[in-house]
Amino acid sequence: MFLLRWLWKNMKGDRLIYCTALCMTVVCQAMHLIAPNITRQIIDTFLVGEEAAENLRNGTDKLLLMLAAMIGFTLLRCVVQYSSNMCYERTSQGLIYRVRKVLFDNIEKQDAGFYDTHRTGDVMTVVTGDLEMVRHSIAWIIKTTLECVVLYTATMVFFFTIDWLMALCMMALTPFILLITKGFRRAVGPFYVDLREKLSAMNTAAEENISGNRVVKAFAREDFEIEKFDKCNKAYNEANKKAAFTWLKYFPALEITAQSLSVVCVLFGGIFVAWGRMTFGEYATFAGLVWTLSNPMRTLGNIVNDYQRFTASAHKIIELYYGRPFIVEREDAVDVPGRLKGKVEFRDVSFGYGNTEILHDISFTAEPGETIAIMGATGSGKTSLINLIPRIYDVTAGQVLVDGHDVRKMKLKQLRGGIGIATQDVLLYSDTIEGNISFGNIDLPEDEVIKYAKAADAHGFIEKTSDGYDTIIGERGVGLSGGQKQRISLARALAVKPSVLILDDTTSAVDLETERNIREALSNLDFPCTKIMIAQRITTARSADRIIVLKDGTIAEMGTHEELIRQNGYYREVYELQK
Amino acid sequence: MARNKFDIDETLETPFDIKHLKRALTYAGRYKKRIFLSLFISVIASVTGLLSPLIVQYAVDNCFSSEGIPMLTLCAAGLLACIVVSVFLSQTRSKMMTRVGQDIIYDIRKDLFRHMQELPFEYYDSRPHGKILVRVINYVNSVSDIMTNGIINFVLETVNILFITIFMMFVCWQLALTVLCGLPIYGAIIMFIKNRQRKAWQKVSNKSSNLNAYLHESIVGVQISQVFTREEVNAEINDKLAKSYRSAWMKAVGYSNLVWPATDVVSISTRAAIYLIGLLFMPGVSLGTILAMGDYSGRFWQPLMQLSNLMNTFINAVAYLERIFEMLDEPASIKDKPGAKEMPEIKGDVHFRDVTFAYENGVNVLEHLSFDVKAGQSIALVGPTGAGKTTIVNLISRFYDLNGGKVLIDDSDISEVTLHSLRSQMGIMLQDSFIFSGTIMDNLKYGRLDATDEEARAACRIVGIDDYITTLKDGYRTKVSERGGGLSQGQKQLIALARTILSDPKILVLDEATSSIDAKTERYLQNGIDHLLKGRTSFIIAHRLSTIRSCDRIMYVSDKGITESGTHDELIAKRGDYYKLYTAQAV
Repeated sequence: MFLLRWLWKNMKGDRLIYCTALCMTVVCQAMHLIAPNITRQIIDTFLVGEEAAENLRNGTDKLLLMLAAMIGFTLLRCVVQYSSNMCYERTSQGLIYRVRKVLFDNIEKQDAGFYDTHRTGDVMTVVTGDLEMVRHSIAWIIKTTLECVVLYTATMVFFFTIDWLMALCMMALTPFILLITKGFRRAVGPFYVDLREKLSAMNTAAEENISGNRVVKAFAREDFEIEKFDKCNKAYNEANKKAAFTWLKYFPALEITAQSLSVVCVLFGGIFVAWGRMTFGEYATFAGLVWTLSNPMRTLGNIVNDYQRFTASAHKIIELYYGRPFIVEREDAVDVPGRLKGKVEFRDVSFGYGNTEILHDISFTAEPGETIAIMGATGSGKTSLINLIPRIYDVTAGQVLVDGHDVRKMKLKQLRGGIGIATQDVLLYSDTIEGNISFGNIDLPEDEVIKYAKAADAHGFIEKTSDGYDTIIGERGVGLSGGQKQRISLARALAVKPSVLILDDTTSAVDLETERNIREALSNLDFPCTKIMIAQRITTARSADRIIVLKDGTIAEMGTHEELIRQNGYYREVYELQK
Repeated sequence: MARNKFDIDETLETPFDIKHLKRALTYAGRYKKRIFLSLFISVIASVTGLLSPLIVQYAVDNCFSSEGIPMLTLCAAGLLACIVVSVFLSQTRSKMMTRVGQDIIYDIRKDLFRHMQELPFEYYDSRPHGKILVRVINYVNSVSDIMTNGIINFVLETVNILFITIFMMFVCWQLALTVLCGLPIYGAIIMFIKNRQRKAWQKVSNKSSNLNAYLHESIVGVQISQVFTREEVNAEINDKLAKSYRSAWMKAVGYSNLVWPATDVVSISTRAAIYLIGLLFMPGVSLGTILAMGDYSGRFWQPLMQLSNLMNTFINAVAYLERIFEMLDEPASIKDKPGAKEMPEIKGDVHFRDVTFAYENGVNVLEHLSFDVKAGQSIALVGPTGAGKTTIVNLISRFYDLNGGKVLIDDSDISEVTLHSLRSQMGIMLQDSFIFSGTIMDNLKYGRLDATDEEARAACRIVGIDDYITTLKDGYRTKVSERGGGLSQGQKQLIALARTILSDPKILVLDEATSSIDAKTERYLQNGIDHLLKGRTSFIIAHRLSTIRSCDRIMYVSDKGITESGTHDELIAKRGDYYKLYTAQAV
């Protein structure tokens, strides 16, 4: 029931069309029942009736008229049927369009915690395979169910008006069908849940193989990958068979029961005619309409089968549909209009994933316009620290403040809109270079795109590419060198003209001359901006207003270059190494 | 190369022709026996099905009286027996065909995936990954039914039509021709619909491909979207793609849905024509014949209707099938030459002979490059970003083929040996340190599947990440994935490095292997790497000069070649580009 309500909710806008379609289905079924009558009339009047020859001689016009009616009626029925089909299509497309929209929004909103547990392939399965099942359910399951119910009820009512005892005999098989279907439903459900798990696993295996194709080739692991995928492929193949065979196991019982209606009809019909309870004509009516009872009963199995499949998929969709990220904007978020000033403050911040604490008691302040460099060993918590500013993660204790406001109380859009970030894992889109640079600021005029590309020292190599700024780069930026990707990522961060610029080791893969150019460009930006940068090179860090050295999640050293050199700690050590 | 992005439709290179169909049938061909057997069973089932009306007819004619009741019971039992037999026959058939259908999907998908592994970098670099993914997973699923039940039904219905036609011809050939007159009209209508339908479904497959490609990128890049507050813009793009998918679908389905009514109307019209012609223009024909012919015309069109439905499914499936074949036909440009030898155990001499290389025709990245490296030497490649350092190391592993010249390892031209024997002896750590979902141990052993846990730990100790891993709750059994698992970029890089070390390569290539690792850890790592470099030919790309200094030889890459080459001291003395680079780094 919940599922149906959920479907109904997402049908908003197409509900009227859908109901019309359902009505048309009923009309169509009725027309199906009526259509043979016209043909029979023609046959009775002009072919087999006692006055057939007479009628033909006198009523050529009538014959033509009736033939025209026959064709006309079919045309009409086809039009109704076509319209109703198109209405179903429209509704189901509308529905998945709306669901897709919500899913996409949710995918975009989910926080890092969600993606730690949901692999790309899993999410892809929901939005491709599972959504297709939902579409099918609207276009087929409900419609077919209705057809069956209408046909069955109409026939049953009609039968009772003819002979109640015979009608009861015909109805006697129905409970068996229902019973078998119920057993089948319980048996097949788990198989479909399993089936979509297997699909999801296969999707993930293929997805990772595609994304990691370079590593696969580098290690010449093609055979291993083929074997790995083959396991998933096989598992999916077997899950499919299992589900289908469960259906086939119940199929004989259902089918035999449904088809036995004709046995019941001829046996009891014969007896009742023999007893004189029914006329022969009445028997013929029953016999002629047996299919209208047996067809719905036969279809019931298919409906239940598809419904179970739909349920397995729908639950996954609904999980994502209603899944709310932990990091959300508060209802009473403070409004900070205009450009952020760029003050960033950490107050006794602690942070961890699960039970492992990564950062402990971090406190520092970056005044507007200042530059803070963060250094520290691999795994010391540098990236975790900067992730707290745009709320990629939330603190577990303490506060992160921007312009004096706790970031958790700010509007996400205002907070993130004021921050430009160049992440370590450079993810570029398969879009043009220009499209990638103006990613966060799509209205950026072309000359500004070039300006920021120049600031990131990327203009030179961009110009050398075949189509310049219109060159399409591959997904994740494949095809570009690490340093080139980093520079485009930097240009992308600059292009939003942020109040707080966060650079996560953005120049690690560029050569030293480029790095110097970038450093100079960063100190001459045409907008005021606080810079927080993770660096490994002393050359990058030394000119910062303050250098923070992290060690195991705590601040071990903090001060200017000169101060830290005197301290004989990590910074000094690195300085000596790089001298 | 022409790259594709999410909102560009992929044009189909090859028009559909009968070859595709034949090719699809070869997949079914592997299961010939079972398909024929199913066909045979279907025929028997139909015959049994035909018995039922005869029994009913007999019962109605003879047993509807008090004396007839025992006989009637017998008839009912016979009828039930017929039903049971035909139901079990069709169950058997369905079981067989389900197996065959699923196995065909499995086969196609297996071939597709196998072929994918042979495709070069360019293939993956030049299109959104989501587009590749939907082909392997979703498209393949949509072609199974047509290959199994489709074939059987096609045969059965065709036979059906033939029989009915012959039968009608015997009963009354004039009226039979009247029925057949409907065929050209019907054919014309179907042709009209079919041409549009095919294009329309192609468009649907294109649009769904675009939609999924964008979706895939959005999932992968979700954090970037969030920090750049792009959610609304992305939602709009998604909306646009979803809308164009919807309208493509509506158009295609609009055509598909026409087929059925068209058959219906033509069928009814021929029936009307029989009555009309029979009654008004053929006075010699008996009424019974007209009655029968009216009935037969219905039975003639019934299978045709089934065939048109089949055609609908088929055209729909073809839109996906041709994409699958297109991918299967994608040339594996870098593959073993016919008769390629196994690469003997590598000693480690590397020679570039007059190598010219370009990613795009006409834009040479390297020109006439020659150099020799002796076994066991360590070479540092330095120079401005984008100068071609990565390209040089990619050529050693034959990730790309040359436009001119030769690359030799020991004395074998690397294009003459099998790829597997070449690459499996090399350890290449790329800039992209992709982590597969699985445990840390799984990832480490990716480099050498038969390595023991102890060896894997030893590799981790060399790179200095063993301490960290052991502090994790599940240690080496901790689940990680490309995005998740709480590993920092530096830690991922260390694991990738340990993975390469574990593979115990003859030639080692480290491309920015330590870029995300801090200076102090790197220093510590240096000892491990030095140990690793001993006795191996190695190529190291790094920007940090502390890493470079210790190499046997440094090559400065720029201007499509190597401009300076020598030891650190020699190059410093030369006061050229390397000297400039070195002094820029000095604090």
